[in-house]
Amino acid sequence: MRGLQLSLNQTQKLRLERALEKLQSLSSKANTNASVTVADTIPVNYDDGVLKGHGTSELDGEVVATLCGVVERVNKLVYVRTLRARYKPEIGDIIVGRVIEVAPKRWRLEINFSQDAVLMLSSMNLPDGIQRRRTAVDELNMRSIFEENDVVCAEVRGFQHDGSLHLQARSQKYGKLERGQLLTIPPYLVKRRKQHFHHLDQYGIDLILGCNGFIWVGEHIEAKDDMVEDQVNKSEQQSVKSSTVKSSRSSLSLEEQEQTYTPPETRQNICRTANAVRVLSNLGFNITVEVIMETVNLSNSLNLDIHEMLGAEFCVLVAEREAERRSLIKKKG
Amino acid sequence: MVGLSVGEKHFIQGGIAQDLRSDGRKRLTYRPIYVETGVIAQANGSARVKMGATDVIASVKAELGRPSPSHPDKGKVSIYVDCSPTAAPMFEGRGGEGLSTELSTALQRCLLGGKSGAGAGIDLSTLSIVEGKVCWDLYIDGLVISSDGNLLDALGAAIKAALSNTGIPKVHVAANVPSDEQPEVDISDEEFLQFDTSGVPVIVTLTKVGRYYIVDATSEEESQMSSAVSVSINRQGRICGLTKRGGAGLDPSIILDMISVAKHLSEQLINKLDSEISAAEACEEES
Repeated sequence: MRGLQLSLNQTQKLRLERALEKLQSLSSKANTNASVTVADTIPVNYDDGVLKGHGTSELDGEVVATLCGVVERVNKLVYVRTLRARYKPEIGDIIVGRVIEVAPKRWRLEINFSQDAVLMLSSMNLPDGIQRRRTAVDELNMRSIFEENDVVCAEVRGFQHDGSLHLQARSQKYGKLERGQLLTIPPYLVKRRKQHFHHLDQYGIDLILGCNGFIWVGEHIEAKDDMVEDQVNKSEQQSVKSSTVKSSRSSLSLEEQEQTYTPPETRQNICRTANAVRVLSNLGFNITVEVIMETVNLSNSLNLDIHEMLGAEFCVLVAEREAERRSLIKKKG
Repeated sequence: MVGLSVGEKHFIQGGIAQDLRSDGRKRLTYRPIYVETGVIAQANGSARVKMGATDVIASVKAELGRPSPSHPDKGKVSIYVDCSPTAAPMFEGRGGEGLSTELSTALQRCLLGGKSGAGAGIDLSTLSIVEGKVCWDLYIDGLVISSDGNLLDALGAAIKAALSNTGIPKVHVAANVPSDEQPEVDISDEEFLQFDTSGVPVIVTLTKVGRYYIVDATSEEESQMSSAVSVSINRQGRICGLTKRGGAGLDPSIILDMISVAKHLSEQLINKLDSEISAAEACEEES
């Protein structure tokens, strides 16, 4: 395992190896025929013309793989898809990114892709919620919406002709993420599902599984619906906002800061969930809400201290639990 | 190091204030330490220490040399740290030099003491072979492979582990040599003397964020620090060196408090390190 740097004693090593062997035996056999390593010949029907795609090359009249991965075929195109590739965006993906630049009429975000993604000012809801044309004043006030290093949740809108990625954040679910922590895991561990936003009620936290491998775990924030606000409410909020802005400019006294910290209960849940994600990504298991919840429940039932979740014993237990779970699923299906 | 948003910084500071950091540790809890010895076969001693994502390697090479005229009965030790560009993009080319010199001087101060050798963690008189003529020169090199905060503690632990893994070859000095000539020294390939590391100190770094101090900070937490104090303490509970970094000034009472906290933590750290080192050496013997 790449990320596994734990000192396991002999019994733990044996248990881990056994669990991983069990998982390997449970994985579907169909795909093993398609996996190739460098210099393996790819079985191709040479009578129809074959298009050699990424990861292949012609050697002595045979199509040979130049990467380790799985062979994919689309009509006449044959290519090798690597397993640990960089994130490959598709339209409609929910991603979490970090703002690295505020440019004219757009923000540039870093999303673990080969290029930076672009979030246009016009693809973003304005703070007052009114649908209108973006003016020069809006452009000057871009920093008040997102600054450098802010964590933003957005959706992939499409690709431009030059290959750069465009994002949109039009719904209330998207936007700036505060009061939590951002985790980075390999992107291939997050599969595309129907839902990527998860509000874990019993813990009071928000869990956003970005398809690009950035996972956000934070305090639950109610998505405000701007359109419904009254004028009165708006002016109240504006005065509150201006006073907090003023007080953040002059340093907030420690007591005031302490009042705004996340409550300890929620923080414990956030840390437990974050550690569950870390353990699962170290072991290389797919990250879904169900698996994360099971891991958190397992740690709760064992009454483990939160930081012991990153220790050797819990890691082995999670691997064994996952092997059991998959064998149960296989027996049912 | 990627930047952090205001919300994330607030979350980290809140965690430290509430004694629950981002990975669930308390303020004074170390990350799991993983020690591997004998990683470099050509060196006299080497060790690799991982604390979370921080990964450092230390190696010890012993060569024959002349002792300095002012200290004829002591050997020489030089410590040098290099930050590899694989640790962080900013270390590419000469970017890592500032940090390397800072770490090297801090380690020298913590382990070697002053110019006269007073207060040294490593006893230099054990390195002398023939007084005034021949002594052992120890070259201790540290390499930072991956940086996630708390480099000084990890390097201190790696050097301690490397020294306990060091085997200094036995030397036979030819007898009956006139006093002004260089004596002939025969280095044996077979017999080795294990270096005595019971006096080597460990380094405990306390990072002050807001009103509280934490130990073993990750690089995110270090970006929020106001100041950091690194104390090197040996097994007897004596301070061998002290370094303060960071722009904010500290009240003297806070420094004294930090020293007492560091002393308390060093006992656990020394015990943990010793058990990990012996486990690593047992592993190395098996393989």
